[in-house]
Amino acid sequence: MMNVARRKMLYAGFAGTVGVALALSGCSQRAGTDAGTAASASSGASAGFKEGSLIGVALPQKTSQNWEDAQRLFPEKLKAAGFTSQVQFANSGVAEQQSQISALITRGAKVLIVGPIDGSQLGTQLAQAKAAGIPVISYDRMITNTPDVDYLVTFQPDKVGQLQGQSLLQGLQEKAGHPAPYNVELFAGSPDDNNARIFFEGAMKVLQPKIDDGTLVVPSGQTTFQQVATQGWDPKTAQNRMDSILTANYSGATLDGVLSPNDTIARSLITSIGNAGKPIPPMTGQDSDPESIKLIADGVQYSTVDKPTVKQVDASVDIVKELAAGKKVDVTNGESDNGKTKIPTDFLDPTLVTKDNAAQVYADDPVRGPIAKGQG
Amino acid sequence: MSTTSKVAPATTPAPASRARQVGELLSRNLRQFGMVIALILLLLFFQIKTGVALNPGNIINIIQGNAYVLILAVGMVLVIIAGHIDLSVGSVAAFVGVVVALLIQDWNVPVYLAMLLGLVVGAIVGAWQGFWVAVVGIPAFIVTLAGMLLFRGLNQVFGKSTTIPVPQEIIYFGTASLPEVGPNTGFNNLTVLLGLLGLVALVVLELRKRRNALRLGAPVGPTYALVTRLVLLGAAILVATYLFASAPIGRSFPIAGIILLVLVVLYAFIAARTPLGRHIYAVGGNRAAAVLTGVNVRRVNFFVMTNMGVLAAVAAIVFIGRSTSSGPADGTGWELDAIAAVFIGGAAVSGGIGTVVASVIGGLVIAVLNNGLQLIGVQADITQVIKGLVLLLAVALDVYNKRQGKPSIIALLQRGFQRSSTTPEHEQPRSATKV
Repeated sequence: MMNVARRKMLYAGFAGTVGVALALSGCSQRAGTDAGTAASASSGASAGFKEGSLIGVALPQKTSQNWEDAQRLFPEKLKAAGFTSQVQFANSGVAEQQSQISALITRGAKVLIVGPIDGSQLGTQLAQAKAAGIPVISYDRMITNTPDVDYLVTFQPDKVGQLQGQSLLQGLQEKAGHPAPYNVELFAGSPDDNNARIFFEGAMKVLQPKIDDGTLVVPSGQTTFQQVATQGWDPKTAQNRMDSILTANYSGATLDGVLSPNDTIARSLITSIGNAGKPIPPMTGQDSDPESIKLIADGVQYSTVDKPTVKQVDASVDIVKELAAGKKVDVTNGESDNGKTKIPTDFLDPTLVTKDNAAQVYADDPVRGPIAKGQG
Repeated sequence: MSTTSKVAPATTPAPASRARQVGELLSRNLRQFGMVIALILLLLFFQIKTGVALNPGNIINIIQGNAYVLILAVGMVLVIIAGHIDLSVGSVAAFVGVVVALLIQDWNVPVYLAMLLGLVVGAIVGAWQGFWVAVVGIPAFIVTLAGMLLFRGLNQVFGKSTTIPVPQEIIYFGTASLPEVGPNTGFNNLTVLLGLLGLVALVVLELRKRRNALRLGAPVGPTYALVTRLVLLGAAILVATYLFASAPIGRSFPIAGIILLVLVVLYAFIAARTPLGRHIYAVGGNRAAAVLTGVNVRRVNFFVMTNMGVLAAVAAIVFIGRSTSSGPADGTGWELDAIAAVFIGGAAVSGGIGTVVASVIGGLVIAVLNNGLQLIGVQADITQVIKGLVLLLAVALDVYNKRQGKPSIIALLQRGFQRSSTTPEHEQPRSATKV
């Protein structure tokens, strides 16, 4: 057995180490804030930051073309403005986005541009950003449930919804082939995306009066947001729902129109209706996906809403440039209430696109232009 | 040395040279500490590559951001040791999260009572699944697969697919750190105390184990192996304490980490030092033999499934605390993260092998890998590819070692702390096939 002397030596050794550790404590300094940067305490009134600073961009899952565009455009535009950037997509969900934002803060990002997956689950990370003096720009979707958001850049979601509603009515008049009442079905986006609710409510502002006075009928009876929402904006989920609705309600009746929240879902619904052997009714959309533009040019999908990602990216980069120069940010033109604070917002204008104006709207777009002209 | 002359050197054959002894000792200890060494190397690599990986704030973020997976891994390892698997933990956690959030928001239940009820709900869910596994005898894979769908659905029904914010008391569990008390020493005093406690516990446990082993005449390694092990682990604890304690004011060792530590100590104790723990290993290792020796297999199965439900509830509370709200997509994929952590930590697919501490270390390896790749700026899709490969290689290495007759890399990680129940099993192969 270990003799007493050796055991005493072992204990002494450890006591010594502990003592040294405690002695060292007097020499340490605890930093005032994280991230190793000389961060200013208040956001918005900071002295700015220099060229070459890191701008962190945290985006949600890549579910459509406009996010692919954002992945390409952000590094391009930020580099042109003289900054370095890191763009991260959180494919696995909220937990991954939370770690990505924390990592960007640790890396010393000077500004965070966040397109949230679930805008109400980032409070902790944004509080860390606030403590480190990093301004946060909410991109495309509003971040809620936290006061630590500084700016919002988005295409007016309410206007998008109204454009969709109006175009559905327009399409019904043009294409239904018979007078009112018209049979329509409603689809909405993901319930955890704040925008999805606003799109739907905007559309219902236009459509609800028509439902109330009998011009529009919803045979499936599903008219509340909860009933029509599509978790995760997943096209398969929407397609399954349309399959069930068609089987249950449309064996004899005709479907005259569909409100679809975006192009990806619109295409899946077109597939579903086509598989059921029915003619494709006027269908709305959003995002200007190239494949949907082809369908619009061919007269299959009725409309989409153009929200050029490049405009949204440019608007965000403009805010970054003003923050870098230490100036007060004045590109915003409105305010949004996220429940905990009022966020200065740069509202951008969406454009409704149908077959008639497609060629003109996308005249300058290298990808969509040729498709709209019928050469895609 | 006085030690080796008194005890028969059961670890090496008699005429081996000194150099070979040392070599074998080093290689065996290297294998035992394989995962810990991998963890340290990863941290050093990312620190060199990014310069900020070892920032106290970053380490705290790693713990807070992955606490929920590590808590799940603590429960999952017991399930896997018993020879089962639980695919429903993510959905159960999401379900408990939404229940707790709703109780507070819609029913005005006091916060701490709501959390307690959440744990109760987790226990009920676990017991429900335990009933089907233990009493009816359906394979756990199927029961928990059904549970995954069932409780995800219930989560959507109750929560109506919306996010529900949670109050500050719950956010505390996910985001707060040990408070600042006592004189200003330049560190967080409570964290320093915790670290010293850990250090003292390490030394006391190691020495006591050695004294017991010598008293019983069991084989022990040479003293310098003990000293080296103590020095290395002690240094690791000191470095970790330093990192946590020197974080900026307001942050230190996170509360989520305290919860994790308490659970690890508790379950490691249960697994290694109680009859229940030994029965879990027995049922997983050789079910027929366990039945014949009078182990109540039904009770063991019921316990591990119920326990998993409770731990899923704990993980849920920590996660919704950190996320400040409960969301409809919570819990997606959590079971796979927990299972990956357990297998990287060295558990066997067929059951009977694995330890709680090793699973947590396995989970930390994945967490550090994730964090480091994010710091570098690697895209999320490539990160996923790397994680998949790491999981495959880690388990392949472990299987290779086992096939060679050497002990599982991590199964014996804690031989220094506590006895793993599978020690007898592993003594034989080691002396039988020497490579």
